[in-house]
Amino acid sequence: MPRLSFQDLILRLQNFWADRGCMIETPLDLEVGAGTMHPATFLRVLGPEPWNVGYVQPSRRPADGRYGDNPFRLGKHYQFQVILKPSPLDVQELYLDSLRALGLDLTRHDIRFEEDNWESPTLGAWGVGWQILLDGMEITQFTYFQQAGGIDLAPISAEITYGLERLTMFLSRQPSVYDIEWGAGFGYGPVRKQDEYEFSKYYFETANVGMHWQLFEMYEKEAKHCLEEKLVLPAYDWTLKCSHVFNTLDARGAVSVTERVGIIKRVRELAVACAHQFLDAREALGFPLLKASNG
Amino acid sequence: MAEYFFELLTEEIPAWMHDAAQAALLQQLTKLTLDLGEQPEDRNPVVVNSTPRRIIFFLSHIPLRESDRDEEVKGPPVKAAYDAEGKPTPALNGFLKKNNATIGDVIAGGDYIRVRRTIKGRSAGEILQERVPQIMESLRWPKMMRWGNGEHSYIRPIHSVVSVLDGEHLPLTIFGIASGTTTRGHRTLAPQPIEVLSYNEYVTKLELARVVIAADRRRHVMAERARVLGTQAGGTPSVDASIWSQWQYLTEYPGVVRAEFGRDYLALPDEVLVTVMRVHQKQLPIRDANEKLTNSFLAVLDNDADPDGNAAYGNSFVTNARFADAKFFYETDRKRTLESRLRELERLQFQEKLGNYLDKTKRIEKIAAAISDDADTLAAAKLCKTDLVTEMVKEFTDLQGKIGGIYAREEGLPKNTWQAIYDHYLPINIDDALPRTLSGAIVSLADKIDTLVGFFRIGAKPTGSKDPFALRRAAQGVVQILLNRDKRSVKIGVDKLIDIALEAHGATAQAKDDLLAFFAERVRTILEASAYGFAYDEIAAAMEAGWASSLTDLVDRITALKAMRGEANFLSILDSAKRIANITAGQETASRIDPSKLESDIEKRLAELVLLTNDQIEEMIGERDYKRALETFAALAPELETFFDEVMVMVEDESVRRNRMALLRTIGNAVMKIADVTKIVVDRREYRP
Repeated sequence: MPRLSFQDLILRLQNFWADRGCMIETPLDLEVGAGTMHPATFLRVLGPEPWNVGYVQPSRRPADGRYGDNPFRLGKHYQFQVILKPSPLDVQELYLDSLRALGLDLTRHDIRFEEDNWESPTLGAWGVGWQILLDGMEITQFTYFQQAGGIDLAPISAEITYGLERLTMFLSRQPSVYDIEWGAGFGYGPVRKQDEYEFSKYYFETANVGMHWQLFEMYEKEAKHCLEEKLVLPAYDWTLKCSHVFNTLDARGAVSVTERVGIIKRVRELAVACAHQFLDAREALGFPLLKASNG
Repeated sequence: MAEYFFELLTEEIPAWMHDAAQAALLQQLTKLTLDLGEQPEDRNPVVVNSTPRRIIFFLSHIPLRESDRDEEVKGPPVKAAYDAEGKPTPALNGFLKKNNATIGDVIAGGDYIRVRRTIKGRSAGEILQERVPQIMESLRWPKMMRWGNGEHSYIRPIHSVVSVLDGEHLPLTIFGIASGTTTRGHRTLAPQPIEVLSYNEYVTKLELARVVIAADRRRHVMAERARVLGTQAGGTPSVDASIWSQWQYLTEYPGVVRAEFGRDYLALPDEVLVTVMRVHQKQLPIRDANEKLTNSFLAVLDNDADPDGNAAYGNSFVTNARFADAKFFYETDRKRTLESRLRELERLQFQEKLGNYLDKTKRIEKIAAAISDDADTLAAAKLCKTDLVTEMVKEFTDLQGKIGGIYAREEGLPKNTWQAIYDHYLPINIDDALPRTLSGAIVSLADKIDTLVGFFRIGAKPTGSKDPFALRRAAQGVVQILLNRDKRSVKIGVDKLIDIALEAHGATAQAKDDLLAFFAERVRTILEASAYGFAYDEIAAAMEAGWASSLTDLVDRITALKAMRGEANFLSILDSAKRIANITAGQETASRIDPSKLESDIEKRLAELVLLTNDQIEEMIGERDYKRALETFAALAPELETFFDEVMVMVEDESVRRNRMALLRTIGNAVMKIADVTKIVVDRREYRP
């Protein structure tokens, strides 16, 4: 059994996917709930341009915070995200090879692909796929993207999302996330526990509700303004800001059911508009990545 | 005879879709084999199987080719076929040449030239090459996807196709993938290519490559393994059928592993532990000899062994994680009373037009209060939805109701109250138990009728197969509860129940007719499928005499009707009722029998008997002694017969005629209170002496 640290895992996955033709991106410098929201996924899966990419994405889910008390749940966790577009026919084998690259002898473990489809109402996106179980534990979400921003996709992208903490805990046989080693002798607990406590307290108890509602309005307005100016990438940034503010309000218990439906709709409208405008912009540029791949 | 086998290798197909896909495929293939020609009757000609990533079929006895068949070919009109001298025209000659026929082959008669032509049957190979791709590509799946460049849509991407006819490759193409004779073994245990040229070879080689083809064999292996592991853990796995139907399609090489969770978690309620294991983890809890849960459980494994204990570790790890969450919810939730959560229900929407769960709760309370004034019942009605805003239900929705009941019990609320909360979703399915107490039955009724009336009121009734709010299920639950006769019997009819719910909604009789018709359909379906063994016409006849005021009374009437049907004098009842119905149909009737207008002795005697019998029948109906009431009516048959034979009903004198109608209607109506017996369909031969 390999005793890998958190950073060993990141480094091995980066190297593995880089060796298989992926560009290694860096995390998005905004608060997002998942690697899917990074423009390197949400926008690049649109249109005909090929795209192979891998990156780490810190993912903030305010409602999942547990004040650092729960050994399995985190308000912020790290994902390793891979997009292969178009999805190659041997994508599952590539994935299994990535586990072998982590030192797993798969003949001595149980690997199963169990149906788990993905849908994001705020992104107008859905896909079909599995949760991948290693010895009964979910370590990866695997999705064939079918639609993003309300647009039918072709070619289809395969998205592979590793839950890095879970996988490290399991590989290093640690019963608590706070007991794993980040790397170079630094423990995940000493590095992150304060962060988990403070942000739990902030999102659940402290966040200024009135200000966040104002922020939502302002961010939404700015996103629309950018869209009018045909600046789709800034518009998408502001859309993501809206989404995070909404998640904060939600964790704070400040969103009623009726409001929730309305807010999700408003964010989706922005995301859908961004998707369409991004596609138009790429087309206007002559789909540069398509040319690059054709040599 | 030839044999053909086929394998489609895909990516993992969702477990729940296999059974339906196999059934659809079996149907298509059976049709294909019939089209190919006669099958030996003593053999099962089609075998269909699947594993998570394979669809396999085997046709064991197909004819080598279709039989030849004759066909008539139509040519030019006779008028254009011969010239003035009676010689064949070029049109006729051309036609004959094309069909390889001579003038002697022309069939005599008709306006057109016709010849018989023999069509050679195609070979099995040709037909399979055409039909198998059609069948496989058009298999319907509940949720389709695209992959790669997105040209094709199927359940999952397709990797390879094996197509073998009598030991040789039969080439065909499915979604652009050309078939071959090579497959692969288990994804991780034996991924190497395998060459196969017969079905037997395929089954044997794949078994060596860690793939068990037959789903029922995988299931059997796992069931046996589960039993042994359970015994080793000092208990019995608590099995339900749905687990096997999932497990058998989650593995190619079936295995089971035993794992343990932290003993501390045994302090959580059984319901929580079992829900987490069964529903969320697809695991089997193990109970000891005293039916108590142990901290051991079983999990599925796509391997026959767990040599390093990895799967045991992993399953323990993830189950402990789930239980840690559940424990946190359990402790957090119980810091507050259910009653204190009522206000939060206001923020939980039930349905846009029907308000939030606090609104719904108030309606449930009103409905329950109209049925019962028992304080424990009303307390349950008030609190039954409060668990929807607990952390436990937010995470484990399957626990709704149950966990509310458990929290109420922990709070020290009366047994009657907590059990009613616990049970109030029951019965969910047709074979579910009813709530265990009268209070539970009342709260369940109140909840369901509120939902039904609400959705019908806003025009959201189910159509066809679409029933997103499970209204059929709710109505079925209401009917099941109302049919019950033990100490939980709620003595109320559907009609009254709807009225109460309409009032709770502050609505008028809006959509009531629709809802009654909807209920009538449920009543029919449930009674037909019930253990009573009622026939369709018996149910229809009795329902014609009313059903909405009491379902137990309806059952009594059908029971009497069914019993009478088996007796010799049933035909008398039927014939008398039919004659009365026929002759009185559409006729004006006096309001009651006027003795002064009775003319003949026969008529007077019948009137006397009718009045007497009518009183008796009314009394028997009052006592719900429907069988005796029907027998009493039957006894009147000879007198009625004499009356019809001797007395003319349709006389000129209107007042006499109307009086005779009144006489007949009086007795006819008495029987109609039990059932419209004219709706019974009988085979008269059965009643011959």
